[in-house]
Formats: sequence, structure tokens, C-alpha cells
Amino acid sequence: MNGILFGKLKLFFRTPWTFLLMTGLTIGFVLVMGTGDISKLSVPIYAENEKLQDSVIGKTLMESEAFSFEWVDHEKIYKKVENGRAEFAIILKENEFQIVEGMESFYTLIANQLLIEAYEEKWKQEQLLAQVHSSVQADFKKSLNDKEAFAPFSISYEQFKGENTWIYNDQLHKIFGMTLFFVIYTIAYSVVQILVEKQAGIWDRIILSPVKKSEMYTANLLYSFFLGYVQVVLIFMLFRYGFQVDFHGKLVEILVLLIPYVFTIVALSLLVLSFVKTVQQFNAIMPFIAIGMAMIGGAYWPLEVVESKGMLFLANIMPIKYGMDMLNGITIYGDTFIEIMKPVSILLLMGVLLMGIGMHLMEKRHV
Amino acid sequence: MIELVNLTKKYKQNNAVKNLNMFIEKGEMVGLLGPNGAGKSTAISMLSSLIEPSEGDVLFQGKSILKRPEALRKITGIVPQEIALYEDLTAQENMEFFGRLYQLRGKQLQGKITEVLELTGLIERRKEVVKTFSGGMKRRLNIGVAMLHNPEFLIMDEPTVGIDPQSRSYILETVKRLNKERNMTVLYTSHYMEEVEFLCDRIYILDKGSLIASGTTNEIKQILSAEKTIQLEVEQVKSELLTLLKEDPSVNRLSVHEKTITLILPKEVDVFAKLTHYAEQTNTNLKSITTEVPTLEDVFLHLTGRGLRD
Repeated sequence: MNGILFGKLKLFFRTPWTFLLMTGLTIGFVLVMGTGDISKLSVPIYAENEKLQDSVIGKTLMESEAFSFEWVDHEKIYKKVENGRAEFAIILKENEFQIVEGMESFYTLIANQLLIEAYEEKWKQEQLLAQVHSSVQADFKKSLNDKEAFAPFSISYEQFKGENTWIYNDQLHKIFGMTLFFVIYTIAYSVVQILVEKQAGIWDRIILSPVKKSEMYTANLLYSFFLGYVQVVLIFMLFRYGFQVDFHGKLVEILVLLIPYVFTIVALSLLVLSFVKTVQQFNAIMPFIAIGMAMIGGAYWPLEVVESKGMLFLANIMPIKYGMDMLNGITIYGDTFIEIMKPVSILLLMGVLLMGIGMHLMEKRHV
Repeated sequence: MIELVNLTKKYKQNNAVKNLNMFIEKGEMVGLLGPNGAGKSTAISMLSSLIEPSEGDVLFQGKSILKRPEALRKITGIVPQEIALYEDLTAQENMEFFGRLYQLRGKQLQGKITEVLELTGLIERRKEVVKTFSGGMKRRLNIGVAMLHNPEFLIMDEPTVGIDPQSRSYILETVKRLNKERNMTVLYTSHYMEEVEFLCDRIYILDKGSLIASGTTNEIKQILSAEKTIQLEVEQVKSELLTLLKEDPSVNRLSVHEKTITLILPKEVDVFAKLTHYAEQTNTNLKSITTEVPTLEDVFLHLTGRGLRD
């Protein structure tokens, strides 16, 4: 078995292209799709007086958790709304604001409320300033701006998580989704080597050697597992230490939880391999399976936005769903060990079943 | 040493091999002949314990190998029809990979690799990646890998397919030397009669899964003792000429390979006049007419009505 593993590793170092391509694609897709927060609605905003941008109004708006305000010039405000690139836009004036609406939107109500609060804050400050002697107005204004720094006390709060609470972190979702998606290809294209070797007669040569068949499968699958696991570890390490992505301090837990997922994908690839007769068939089928699984299983978008009951039901048989559940659970939701064990157990069960069936069919269908 | 008893392999309704009976003695070179699809590779796969027969048995030193193939596997080296090598590894690395599977390590492994690479004439190219090799070099390495563990019994499944005459002759000479110098038992399958004639002591001829003839080369040629082979080389093979030849009662068998028409006729029949007449009648330019001593190819034609490469 060690001989096979050694040979496989040598082959890997000679031709690491699939591995490098899939690793690169994962990183590329996450970066291209942006690690910014698309959960916030982008709203173009224009200030008649540039000072308003730095005023308490500008600061209040920038702190919004619902909107991502983008400062633009006056012409673009109308263009963006007319072209439908923005649901609405905002024009800030000295003592009033204007909402330019392109369509009726629930969000304009929230934005309206936010703007009222911002202007109220501005007026409060102006009233306070008016009561202060002009000689100390500058210092007073500075102290108002620094009020957070000199606050006598601060209040922090945390949300209680209910059963149906949905917390969405777009950046993490993209990293998790793309990593779990692209590693399917790396694993599948290494598992398919079994078929390549069978067709080339290499498999027969190994069967005739003292190596047992169980060792042949173990070595091949272990190699595929190793390749897939190294890829996901590299990607997570790169995002953590290269791009400083915050995994809520759970990087080690994530890396451990990826083990059952990678194992299940190895098993799934073996099952698919057992159904096909040629490498061409496998190469044609695998992308459909990978993409379908990623779409239904929630790697591309959160399952919480899916309304079709049929799709949600199908998601339950997709390993990628449980992979996402585990990773979201451990990071965003702060799940406990017991809570995490549910997707882990399902993945392990799936893996064992798929591998058992796959191996049985391989032996029965292939020479 | 090895015996195949009523060996049969069925795939659904098709019999790939039907009731095959064969034996191979130690130190013998045995040929297994047949056209593509005759069942040679299936027979080899059953003999080497790679697939289970539907019926029948394979005996090694009198014992069935169906349940316990280890003893036979230990002494067997197989040269598959395909190039069963890792094309991205060098010749040396391929040898190391397969050598390790046979528990060869360190100096013993390196010594064996050098010996086999010298035998196959690849010692100078040991550090080159296999995918840069010519077809003939790949075939030689394919044979070399099967030799790493000093097999007593070598199964060669069409080892010269698609290679240049020089490499082919090198391979045939190497096989002959292995048999002579090391008393290696060889089962050689091919659809090239001349290779089998050159190498083998005894021959089995398979067609459509069944054994149609067996014996020494001379015994098999005796099948044609009452007949002769005439080859017509023509400028263009015309269907009118073929029709006339087929209708001629003295022609027992006929086959066409490119621009050569091979006829098998009774020894006593004189057909030269007739053949020139047929050529004139059909406006065919005859380039040559030769009478030949029967070859195994002719025997196959006689037995099946088809050429080996049809």
C-alpha cells in the first residue's frame, strides 16, 4: 500500500495541474465575487454640501447595518435610479433630505427612518452648540465628536439565537461554498485515476502483485482524500492568514470538520465512477453532479432564501448542505459540539454508504 | 505445469470463450493465435486469475487456482496488450513503483531495475519520462516491468501491436533469449502468425471463443498437406475477378489483403492458365503469381474461411 501511495505522490508532484487549478479557481472566485458585504443594500447618495459627508449625518449613515451608502455626484444619482441599478437614491441637503425612488420599496421606509434619526442628531448638536459661548464652541464641537471615546460607560449587547434565527455572513458563505464546491473536482479527478489505471492495464498488474485489493482501494482513496484535504486546508489558511478573514476564531475546528465532508466526497466520486464505463462518461457526468449539488445544497446562495419545498427536500440528500451547515454552525452560529454532531454524523453515514455501494458496484461492473 | 479445463466465459448471452482446453509445460513457449475478438485476452485473464470463469477450471501444478490464485500469481509476469505504465513517470520511476509492489527495496530493487533496463535496451533512457518514448520503447518497458520479480511464467498479450519492425524484432529476440537462458515458460498471444511461428513450440488457434486447432507448428501446417497456396498480386482488386475466383470449383478458400489475393487450392490442380484467363477477362493487370509453402496464416484461412487480420 505504501508503494502505491508513494508512486501516487510522485505522480502528483509531476503533474499537480488539476490541484493547482482548482485551488486557484476557489481563491479566484471568492475574490472576484468580492469579499465585500452584499447583504447590505447599496444606495447611491449625494450631498449638496460636501461637509455633510463628514458631519454626524454622514457618520450615522455609514454605520448603518442595512445599507451600504455610496457617495456619487448629482448626475449619477438619477442615472442609477433610472437604469434600475439602484432601488432608490438619497440627496442630502443642509436641513432636509430627498429620496429619489425608482420603485416602491420597503427599504425606503427604513432609509427614511434612518435619515430622520441622523438629522435629529444633527439638530441636537446644533442646539447644544447654540447654547455654548462662541469662544469655546470649537472645543465643545470636538468633544461632541469624541463623545464615544470619552463615554462614561458603554453598553454591549448580544442577540439570543432562536431556532429559526438566520444570520448571514456573505464573505464566509462565499469562502465555504466555493471551497466545498471546487474540492469536488479535485477529488473526483483523482478518484477517476482508478478507472484510467484499469483501462491501461495497470490495475491488473497490481492485482497480480502481492498487494491486496483492499490495500489498492485504500491507497487510492486515501490519496484522493489527502489531495482534497490539503486543498481545503491551504485555502482556509490562505484566507485566514493571507486575507485576514475572521473565522470567529474557529479555524482549527473548521479544519477538523472538513474531514467528514472530504471523506463523503471521495465516497461519492467512487460511486459515480462505479456507474460509468469510460473516463469520458465520468468527465461528462461529474460537472453536472458538482454544480447541481452546489446549487441545491446551498453553496452558491443560502438555503434560507429558497422557497421551493421540493428543492429544500432535495437539499437534504446533498453532502454539501451538511458541509455548509457544519461550517456556518461552528463559525457564525457558535454551535455546540452536540449541535455540530448532527451534520457530521449524516456526512459520515452518507460516506460509508456511498463507499460501500461504490466499491461493490466497481467490483461487480468493472473487470 | 498449467492446465485449462473446459474453460468458459459468458457475458450475458455471448460466449467469449467456449470449453477451452489447454496445457502449458514448464520451459515451453506456447502460442495462442486468433484474430481480434477471438477470445485470447479473455482466456489470458482467466488463466492469470484476473477474471473468474463462468465454467471450467484452471489448474496450476494440479491444483485449482480459482479459490487460491496466490501461488500462480507469484510466479506470473503479465505483459498486457495496453501500455500499462505511468506515462508521466520516468522509466526508472515506473520500475521502482512496480518493484516496490513486489516488496523489492534498496539495492536489491536498484540492481533488478538495472538488469531489466539492460535487457530491454533502455538503460540509457532510464531517466526520461515515458510519454516521450517511441511506441517500441514503451512496449519494451512494458515487458521489462513484468520481468522485475523474476517470473517463471510470462504471459504476453500481443506485445508487438503497433510498433516498428526494428523494435518488434528486438522484442521477439529478447523473448526467445529469456526462454532459452532462463528456461522461462511463455504464453504468447498474437494475430501475427509469423511471430508465433518464430517463437513457439506449440500453438493453439482460437476463433470466436473456440479452439479450432492445436499442436506443434509442423503438425498444424500438416493440415494443409493436400493443398497449396497461390498469391496473386494485382494492380487493382476488381470485384468481377473475385466473383470468377469464388465461382471456380478448384478454389477452396480465398482472402484479400490490400492488393494481394490469396487462394488455397488442391495441390494437383494447375490453375496458372485459368488465372491469366480470368485476369484478361476482367481487364486486371496481374503483377505476379506465386505459389507458396503453406503458412499458419493459410491454415487459419483454411480452417475459418477468413484471414487473421480480417
